[in-house]
Amino acid sequence: MTGTPGQRHAPLLEVDDLAVVFHGARGDVEAVSEVSFSVRPGEHVALVGESGSGKSVTSLAVMGLLPARSTTVRGSIRYDGDELLGLGDKERRDLRGAEMAMIFQDPMTSLNPVVPIGVQIGEVLQRHKGLSRAEAREVSVDLLTRVGIADGKRRLKEYPHQLSGGMRQRVLIAIALACEPRLLIADEPTTALDVTIQAQILELLRELVSGTGTALVMITHDLGVVAGLCDEVHVMYSGRVVESAPRRSLFGEPRHPYTGGLLGSIPRLDAARGEPLTPIPGSPNDALPWTHSCAFAPRCGNRVDECTTQTPLLKGVGRETQPGYERALRCFNPIDVREAS
Amino acid sequence: MSAERSAEPDDVLLRVRGLKVHFPIKQGILLQRTVGHVRAVDGVDLDVRRGQTLGLVGESGSGKSTLGRGILRLGVPLTAGTVEYDGVDVASLRGEQLRHQRSSMQMVFQDPMASLNPRQSVETLITEPLRAHGKPVEADTVGRLLELVGLPRGAALRYPHEFSGGQRQRLGIARAVALEPALVIADEPVSALDVSVQAQVLNLLEELQERLGLTYVVIAHDLAVVRHVSDVVAVMYLGGIVEQADSDDLYRSPLHPYTRALMSAVPVPDPDVEDHRERILLRGDIPSPADPPTGCRFHTRCPYRQATRCDDERPALRELRPGHSAACHYAEQIESGEIQPADAAEMVGTG
Amino acid sequence: MSTLAPTVPSGAREPAPLDTGTAGESLLRGAWRRLRRSPLAIAGAAIVLVFVVVALAAPLLAPYEPASTQWAGQVTPQSVPGSSADHLLGLDSFGSDMLTQLIYGARQSLIVGVVSTVLGLSVGAALGLAAGGLGGKVDTAVMRLVDILLSIPSLLLAVSVAAVIGQSQLSVMIAIGVAQVPVFARLLRGSMMSQSKSDYVLAADALGIRRRRIVMGHVLPNSMGPTIVQATLALATAIIEVAALSFLGLGDGDPAVAEWGRMLVAAQERFGNDPRLAIYPGVCIAVTALGFTLFGEALREALDPRQRR
Repeated sequence: MTGTPGQRHAPLLEVDDLAVVFHGARGDVEAVSEVSFSVRPGEHVALVGESGSGKSVTSLAVMGLLPARSTTVRGSIRYDGDELLGLGDKERRDLRGAEMAMIFQDPMTSLNPVVPIGVQIGEVLQRHKGLSRAEAREVSVDLLTRVGIADGKRRLKEYPHQLSGGMRQRVLIAIALACEPRLLIADEPTTALDVTIQAQILELLRELVSGTGTALVMITHDLGVVAGLCDEVHVMYSGRVVESAPRRSLFGEPRHPYTGGLLGSIPRLDAARGEPLTPIPGSPNDALPWTHSCAFAPRCGNRVDECTTQTPLLKGVGRETQPGYERALRCFNPIDVREAS
Repeated sequence: MSAERSAEPDDVLLRVRGLKVHFPIKQGILLQRTVGHVRAVDGVDLDVRRGQTLGLVGESGSGKSTLGRGILRLGVPLTAGTVEYDGVDVASLRGEQLRHQRSSMQMVFQDPMASLNPRQSVETLITEPLRAHGKPVEADTVGRLLELVGLPRGAALRYPHEFSGGQRQRLGIARAVALEPALVIADEPVSALDVSVQAQVLNLLEELQERLGLTYVVIAHDLAVVRHVSDVVAVMYLGGIVEQADSDDLYRSPLHPYTRALMSAVPVPDPDVEDHRERILLRGDIPSPADPPTGCRFHTRCPYRQATRCDDERPALRELRPGHSAACHYAEQIESGEIQPADAAEMVGTG
Repeated sequence: MSTLAPTVPSGAREPAPLDTGTAGESLLRGAWRRLRRSPLAIAGAAIVLVFVVVALAAPLLAPYEPASTQWAGQVTPQSVPGSSADHLLGLDSFGSDMLTQLIYGARQSLIVGVVSTVLGLSVGAALGLAAGGLGGKVDTAVMRLVDILLSIPSLLLAVSVAAVIGQSQLSVMIAIGVAQVPVFARLLRGSMMSQSKSDYVLAADALGIRRRRIVMGHVLPNSMGPTIVQATLALATAIIEVAALSFLGLGDGDPAVAEWGRMLVAAQERFGNDPRLAIYPGVCIAVTALGFTLFGEALREALDPRQRR
């Protein structure tokens, strides 16, 4: 189901103290700050958050897809030990597709509508593996079969609008996996899909990445998707990581009030109907700046005085039963595990 | 939402029979010929009791949104069927009569930004419907409504773009209840909102139902949301209802193969549940309502499909247990275990 | 039953981030605020303002009477006197003071530009409103009419109008105005059709608002933006077109009447020796049109509801 549990392997991807600043007409906006996490080979990591959390920006920074002129990226992103920030455009392009690939949310806009899908898959193969057009065609048919699309030869000539949403997403996955990258970043890959199709796609992803040993970074707002897919979860709020934990610990004993709040406010299919939802008051827009407070403070039920005057730091928390995983928490007054009912 | 709400078991506020909404597909530049129909809603019967909440759940092409709009006569043609609301056949109303009837049946829309006129202040958008129906507008009316939905009174002078998504949805709700309707149809009321805000709006809807004695039809694609807010749930697939039951009953024992698959596909935020649950994966994609499969609409993807009847005979929605109906020829055999599911084929695009 | 009790439901409360009591910022006011801060808008508005002031205050600003050819004696077939103490910009080929002609030319351009645009806007918007608001057969009829108008090249239209009414300033205004009609009609109708499909229109219908009020009170106000922007751009185009039509010989026959386009005609023959005879009026046309265009673009950006800043 999930990836291989953490071993003492050197991490494949290391993000260290990442910060992303957008320069706009009205000044600078720090979309992401102090974000650190790592992904080991074959591991499945989740970045969870709502709008404004910075999870997508983080993934774009890792892939090097942020517009150079209006953004400043600070910190360190190391892939296989090599620093990515500071690399030229060409080097980043070489990595993209070959070593690290990304799947986006909306399959309709991620595929070029005027180019047949065979060409879109083929060009990745030609670019990174130096295959000829004929060779690329053969490999493309194989790929389509692997992602569950029958009659690959005929499909190669079709255009994106001739395929359903689920099939387009499968094509995107095929393109992403074409060059056997070691790292796959999936940004809300199933949000735009119907739930039964979502189940198909998630199952497909699960099989493919465990089969090939690809590391997966899953970016989503859906905690249900995370529960079934990822080993380690990082919860983000307003641009910073507020809680990191292995999945069982996070769901079983959430310590950050935001995590706890989210879990308590989501209607669950298996919950008894009478159980009320406890919403988190306010909205993600009501965030204070991290520079001198906790961004979540206005909405937090565990708020104490320090929360509005000081910045909580991300600290490691205790030992974990699962070797290789730590918990980290950014909170002055976390949920007390002992009193959790 | 308590099911004990309605005093008399027979107090049906909304009765829909044989409702069909077919959109013509036209071709041709000069002379438009009708070459086919999109059967968005293809024969639906519903009873909604006063004070109750009916949940309509389904995926793309299920027709749930179209059904909601058809009941309210909003921008969709009623091809066939009746909609009896509080004794009045809404389907046959026209012009001024229909307009007048609207004050009693309202809708809450999915996209809170798009459903509010950006040029109207909150005050205007709440009082406009009142004026349109000749209802009194007092000095306090707007303030009271805002408070009712949990917004500050001073919001009256503001414009929609100055609010957050959740707040805008509250505005939409305030506007809908301003006319004191008896029926409110909520079309995906929370799917455009952030996760942490969804529960606020769901709770608000529940509170308003109790205080104002509203009857709800909640349309959503999220089965967990529907289960939470509804007394009765109707599952739709390609224009028809395939299963209908009390909310708890549906969850405990789904009878229709589509319902089972739908439930197994909903992610649950619990690693233990996710690791050990049975996954029923359906074959292929959802067919288009313009060209639905023959016989049982679901047979092309059904893991329990049988050699006879499924592909040529459309199953009727029949009551298998008190208050629990399903539209499947073999529902009893599937439930008893007599019929086992075939392995879901992995390939899509074959049929 | 009035059950709208004043107590606040629990669990639904949220912190109030809006400071209450102050009036909100409507889209129009927001647009005005953005306009005030946009360098593009300020530059464009400044040019337009100068143009309008010059045009209106022509008698006060111009050093001499317009179209007076009293210095014709100073003009020779080979040269035209340039700047001097008496004539800041020199003379034109007819012997009039260049500066005076330019100033009065502004007045002509303003009049013709404004009248023709107002004509095009009012007729076009009326047609567009009918088409977009009533739909159906009215829409089809109006659009076919618009198609016909569009298929006639504006030049041909201008010549035809001149042939019917006679060559005069009026015919130029009518011709330019008529050429603008289809543009405005299509624009407004298109905006209205797309706005009609919005959720807020459906919501208004659901609330039982009368159809007429929906069209006039909801659809129309939200459709006006692009049309207003088009009006400013149309003014720019009109100024150029006036000049073009005069250059081609249509419009007021009197060659001495100050009009930028006609000044270009006269400057044609002498371009080799005295290019400034063409440069001055040419620059005037270009700068004025630019001013309107800049302002129109800035207005378009300011009115865009997607821009919250």
